[in-house]
Amino acid sequence: MKKSKYINLVLITAALASCNKPDKEWESANKVYMRSDTTAPYTRAHHSGIGTALLWYYAFRPYGNYRNGSYGRAGYYSRALNERSNIGNNAFKGAVARGGFGRGGYSVSS
Amino acid sequence: MIRKTITPRNNWQSAVEKLGFGFHTTNVPYWDESVYYELSMTEVHQIEKATADLWDLCLGAVQHVMDNKLYHLFNIPDWLIPYIEKTWTEDHPAIYGRFDLCVKDGKVKLLEFNADTPTSLYESAIVQWFWLQDFDKSKDQFNSVHEKLVDYWKYLKNYLHPAPLHFTCLKETLEDLTNVEYMRDCAIQAGFETKLIFVDDIGWDEHSRQFMDMEDQPIKNIFKLYPWEWMVTEEFGKNILLDVNRTFWIEPSWKMLLANKAILPILWELYPDHPNLLAAYFDSALLTNYVKKPILGREGANIEIVKEGELLQFTEGEYGKEGYVFQELLELPNFDGKYPMIGSWVVGQEPAGIGIREANSLITDNVSRYVPHLIK
Repeated sequence: MKKSKYINLVLITAALASCNKPDKEWESANKVYMRSDTTAPYTRAHHSGIGTALLWYYAFRPYGNYRNGSYGRAGYYSRALNERSNIGNNAFKGAVARGGFGRGGYSVSS
Repeated sequence: MIRKTITPRNNWQSAVEKLGFGFHTTNVPYWDESVYYELSMTEVHQIEKATADLWDLCLGAVQHVMDNKLYHLFNIPDWLIPYIEKTWTEDHPAIYGRFDLCVKDGKVKLLEFNADTPTSLYESAIVQWFWLQDFDKSKDQFNSVHEKLVDYWKYLKNYLHPAPLHFTCLKETLEDLTNVEYMRDCAIQAGFETKLIFVDDIGWDEHSRQFMDMEDQPIKNIFKLYPWEWMVTEEFGKNILLDVNRTFWIEPSWKMLLANKAILPILWELYPDHPNLLAAYFDSALLTNYVKKPILGREGANIEIVKEGELLQFTEGEYGKEGYVFQELLELPNFDGKYPMIGSWVVGQEPAGIGIREANSLITDNVSRYVPHLIK
């Protein structure tokens, strides 16, 4: 029932590896467009202490969110992200509204 | 189907975490390798055939709903109907779905179809496969989910817009992100240039009428793990009709019909007494023993099981305002108080493998466990 015995995971392997060397990974991450925030939640569901992976999670966490029913986004905590991603709200981005999707819930788990 | 109790791997937590599976435990265990199910090849073939047949029935049911304008049964807003029909007639790309099945006494019966936002993809395709490599490499599994996903993304490449393929889900949910990142992994292996954007970061440029990513580049193809019924009630929902890029949203909007439990009575009306279907209606009058399900429910919430007029079990939740369906009761097989439900994946129109969720009651809810399987 299985066509091959070999399974390769390019993105997820790269994401996990990046937790140990964030700067280097960021510099060479363009080919798969692995934004640093994409790696963020590859951490354990429950932490008994703050380890490298958790620090990585917080470093690249986007800090826009819903507050009092309206969306506000300022960028990402990390300076390692692409500058245009990290600009946040300014004149350049003035024509683009965000937050029009995503109020639905906490998970779509089925 | 046989349930077998075993000793988990000593290092099972780190073994699954190395695969990027971080939500193996919440406040209760989710991944449970202290047990596995053994299926015969006959059972696997039955499930495989049922999955293929059900997929065909579902496509027929979608056409029937459209031909007879039955959208009101699905609580679908009028303004969305032309768009749904357009994505169907233009055959907008769809990649996957998961049938939830009851396999018992030689029968395979459809309980419901997670056609829009099925989860447990990563557990099914990857985690249980690597478990089998550690547990008994000589055995096989009903599982070609990974290979079929990569192959189907390759096939879809010619049908999508010549632009990056975006992937989106909610923030702050490791389960959803893992499913999406795994799907993105498959697309990368199929040769796509991909980007991740969280769903509330998706932008809308009112001037150019385009959805935009975080680099202010237009979104032209996007895989979403976010239900259509939520999207269309939100601020940007109607912008989908204004979008100059005619963005491919995957799964496409016609999947709304199959993800809605109103499809169950439609299927029964179209194919009465089909061996893989249970009787289902929009009212309970014709049934003595039945399950009452909200048409837009998730994870076993707001379910009532009625047997001989008595309420046998029920769950609470926030769903149900859109309406309910009533499905003939077929109790899941009982293995000493453990009730397994088979999730059977269809990838690119074909059966692709299974995952098993095991609950402590007849209702498979959000605290049920994922358990691996093998073929005897």
